[in-house]
Amino acid sequence: MVHYIELIFTNLNGWGLPVIMLIIGIIEFSFGLYENHWTNNERILDIVCFVVPRIVVRPLIAYLGVLLLPTLLPNAKNIFAWVPFWWGFAIIAVGDDLTQYWYHRLHHQLPWLWRFHRTHHSAPYMGMAMASRQNIIYTIFFSQIYLTTTLVYLGLGYPVLFVTGIKALITTGAHSSIKWDKPFYTIRWLQPIGWVMERLISTPATHHAHHADSSDDGVGNYKGNFGNMFFIWDIIFGTGIITRQYPSGYGIKHYKQEEWYAQFLWPLFKSRRKGSELSAGGPMVGDSVPAVPAVVAEA
Amino acid sequence: MKTDKITQQRIIRDALISIVLYALPVLLMLLSFRISGERPWKQHPQATVKASR
Repeated sequence: MVHYIELIFTNLNGWGLPVIMLIIGIIEFSFGLYENHWTNNERILDIVCFVVPRIVVRPLIAYLGVLLLPTLLPNAKNIFAWVPFWWGFAIIAVGDDLTQYWYHRLHHQLPWLWRFHRTHHSAPYMGMAMASRQNIIYTIFFSQIYLTTTLVYLGLGYPVLFVTGIKALITTGAHSSIKWDKPFYTIRWLQPIGWVMERLISTPATHHAHHADSSDDGVGNYKGNFGNMFFIWDIIFGTGIITRQYPSGYGIKHYKQEEWYAQFLWPLFKSRRKGSELSAGGPMVGDSVPAVPAVVAEA
Repeated sequence: MKTDKITQQRIIRDALISIVLYALPVLLMLLSFRISGERPWKQHPQATVKASR
């Protein structure tokens, strides 16, 4: 039994998750859940962001880890291999996800970091297509990857296999445009499970709220709900809102459909769109720029 | 453009709380070893090799 579970998670971390994402993505697309928002520019950006980190960035980080860690931490290989499985699981789950919470939160709360994360929020839709959508710099400095690689070197590789697998399923599920969490709020006997679930992990309701283009409806909370695998960090730090509803619009209000290469490679490539956050000399945070008042024609 | 003062203060406060959260599973593990009397690092071959050097 354990062997089969091991096998599932080994394959999930390899080819399994991309295949699951492709299947769900096809279902979402077939049901028209991207509406008319998936333009050619968005499509190229989503596909490049799905492919490049998987075939270039992650293998490179793993290779550099294998190369550098024995030099940086000599005689430390497998030094913590004695840690019992469930304790290792808890240490990595907290270490990995709390680090990602902070990485994510700081990209929203420190204005100079926002443009590295903006690409993930510019998508005017939710779903598998945009789940991997990130600027290349954000992907390269994805801080918890380095923490997890180090913990693997120190001997916690076996629990890492399970934590990363479960985390990938939860974060993928939270980005899906299929609102799979809805029955947990509407079916009476599932509601107690739903109450615990929405506080413990990210769900479509809480994570969609983070991707909302506005907070005016009382549902959107794009300045909060930063949790990735665990939502409990948002509860502890008071950055979360739970409404059990889904926002009416996604993306960013000041989105200018910037070129896919500028969104993927900023600041190496800049956008030509006037007034864009990604253009040369553009504002650091677009919504901090006061909107030009509309001229009211008086009769 | 700067982060407002309240956000800065919350970041510092929450970062301090996070140190406790990071340490919590490690501290609980050590506490469980103390209660149960387990010494798993003494049974592991890797740890034994290191200790005998």
